[in-house]
Amino acid sequence: MSKTKNDPLHKSDPYYALIFIIPTLAVIAFVAFWPLAQTFYNSLYKSALMFPQNKIFVGLSNYGALWQDPRFVNDLWNTIRFTAWSVGIETVLGVLVALMLNKKFKLRGLVRAAVLVPWAIPTVVSSEMWRWMYNDNYGVINSILMSLHVIKQPIVFLAFPSTAMPAIISVDVWKTTPFMVLLILAGLQLIPEELYEAARIDGANAWQRFWSVTFPMIRPTIGIALIFRSLDAMRVFDIVFIMTKGAANTETLSVYNQWTLFTRGFIQPYFGYGSAMSVMIFLIIGILAIFYVKMMKIRLD
Amino acid sequence: MKRSVFLAIALMIALVISSFATVTIVMTAGAVGAELQVLQTQIKEFMQQNPDIKVVLMPMPNSTTDRYNLDVTYLSAQMPEPDILFLDTIDPPAFADFLVNLKPYFTDQELSQFFQGAINNDTYNGRLVAIPWFVDAGILYYRSDLLQKYGFQPPTTWDQLIQEAQYISQREHIQGFVWQGAAYEGLTCDFMEYVHSYGGNILDENGKVVSDSPQVKAALQTMYDMIYKYKISPVGVTTYQEEDARHIFQNGDAVFMRNWPYCWPLLQATDSAVRGKVGVEVLPEGTGFPGVHHSATLGGWELAINKYSEHIPEAVKLIKFLTSPQQEAYKAINAGQAPSVLSVYNDPAVIKAVPLFKSLYDVFVNAEPRPKSPIYAQISQVIYDNVNAALTNQETVDQAVAKMTSQLKQLLGQ
Repeated sequence: MSKTKNDPLHKSDPYYALIFIIPTLAVIAFVAFWPLAQTFYNSLYKSALMFPQNKIFVGLSNYGALWQDPRFVNDLWNTIRFTAWSVGIETVLGVLVALMLNKKFKLRGLVRAAVLVPWAIPTVVSSEMWRWMYNDNYGVINSILMSLHVIKQPIVFLAFPSTAMPAIISVDVWKTTPFMVLLILAGLQLIPEELYEAARIDGANAWQRFWSVTFPMIRPTIGIALIFRSLDAMRVFDIVFIMTKGAANTETLSVYNQWTLFTRGFIQPYFGYGSAMSVMIFLIIGILAIFYVKMMKIRLD
Repeated sequence: MKRSVFLAIALMIALVISSFATVTIVMTAGAVGAELQVLQTQIKEFMQQNPDIKVVLMPMPNSTTDRYNLDVTYLSAQMPEPDILFLDTIDPPAFADFLVNLKPYFTDQELSQFFQGAINNDTYNGRLVAIPWFVDAGILYYRSDLLQKYGFQPPTTWDQLIQEAQYISQREHIQGFVWQGAAYEGLTCDFMEYVHSYGGNILDENGKVVSDSPQVKAALQTMYDMIYKYKISPVGVTTYQEEDARHIFQNGDAVFMRNWPYCWPLLQATDSAVRGKVGVEVLPEGTGFPGVHHSATLGGWELAINKYSEHIPEAVKLIKFLTSPQQEAYKAINAGQAPSVLSVYNDPAVIKAVPLFKSLYDVFVNAEPRPKSPIYAQISQVIYDNVNAALTNQETVDQAVAKMTSQLKQLLGQ
């Protein structure tokens, strides 16, 4: 097939491409970059939301102040704790469940669909549901533990630092393991059956087949899943806000940020400080994403 | 020819004027239970009386924090709508600069018809920035059947409550006393009742921090001891909000409950396990200090006008309509909300529909406001965070009071 330079269709391609791409770029710029730029601009000022006329330029000092704020540092640790535990457990469980669901068995389609149910429930609803399940008087969890004589007194899970964070992490694990399963299952289905046959002929046992065939093949998928989940977990808001509102040392960065922007920054000059916190959360998550991409040697293209 | 041109112009002018004649005012409103339906009926009547005004209702989320955040969004955008804002008792100082001073629109005689505590609450820096719409106060619910069975009177002091709750709960195998102990606004309300009842305070009249006092420590110690020493309140009370406490009490699983009047119709509903077995009383008082008294935290909701509204006179008209004795009575009967207008408590129809209001009148008259400050939300967080930390053994009572005091002083620059 030969194309001449005078081919009108071919010649106009770049222009058309540009015309078609502009709306997309404009939308992305409008919904993603503009708010980010606005937030960064706000973070350079000392200002209250309701008195924008009284703002004072303070440069980057809001960013320095963040690291002097014990509540910010404490909440950063809480967020990291939440992310490490929830994403770690979700990944391990996700691989295990995905491996099971990849085997052929009766009603597999039904089970695969059922696994997704927790993920399909809005987080607000499931958080409220779990808050009730953790209740000391009527909660099903205490009721089961009491009837099995595991405990004598009901445990008030959400009241104490020792149990509140694990309780919240459990809810996140329950809710988002299906997401991990879904992604990893997709990765598993891409592995050609011949590789397993070859491994079997070479005399590899199940454990060896997993480490030499399955795991290397799903590693990029796990990497992508880890990125998605970690970024999500680092900005966790809804579960914490509904279950404890940050009590019992479970406050995460986003919960603190929301409070700073709205409650504190409304008429007091903390709106810029809250904006700096938002940008800092964005940067921390950005660094984490780059770290993952490098570590996992994922090629994003 | 000339005549037809004149006619055409006249017609056009008439059309333009008539299209301007109707103004539309937007009002935010609660959407809980009967509340919205009642309001819709009231608005319909208002529009029949005032055909030139159209009212559009904007239902709001249920939680006070979410409502606060939404109001912040509207006001910071300097939008002329909503014209009328529906504010929690604690909000007027924070929003004061963005609300219309209503004093010029009301005569002293009109204002004297409201609970004066509520009017004081809505006055900030000499400006009346909101009008009380309905009032609320913390009250003690008790199981009248159980008190009678064991020959007790409703308690008048905390010590008496502890004693009765302990005695009955051990024999009935139910909880003694449930209240709001989670780290949120409700805990500040509960805590302030204990503090006031022991004759203490968090801020004095001049806004000075006075929380480091034996009275405040005694108040917090009483709350703590109810859970860990006398065990009349479950440890789980430190995670309870209003509804958690109500569910336990309504199921017949507690002797006493501290809650707001909204529980009454629910406790008397046909599906309630304690229907006809409940009494209400003013909350107990402290002991051992001068100035101990029965205290209830003032709550309620106010109507205010957005400074950027383009229809202030019409909005005032609507507020006057909604807070008139007839409409307050209608609302009390049909939505169970306690009127902000004194004379309604003498209305036989209202007392017949909600007998509770008769016994609550004194509570409402004496209800005490929470600290009045434009940064109330932050003050409250310092209070409930430290109280909750003490109640969950993260801090001792002395540590919590000391920390609360120093954090409040820092916050208020003292």
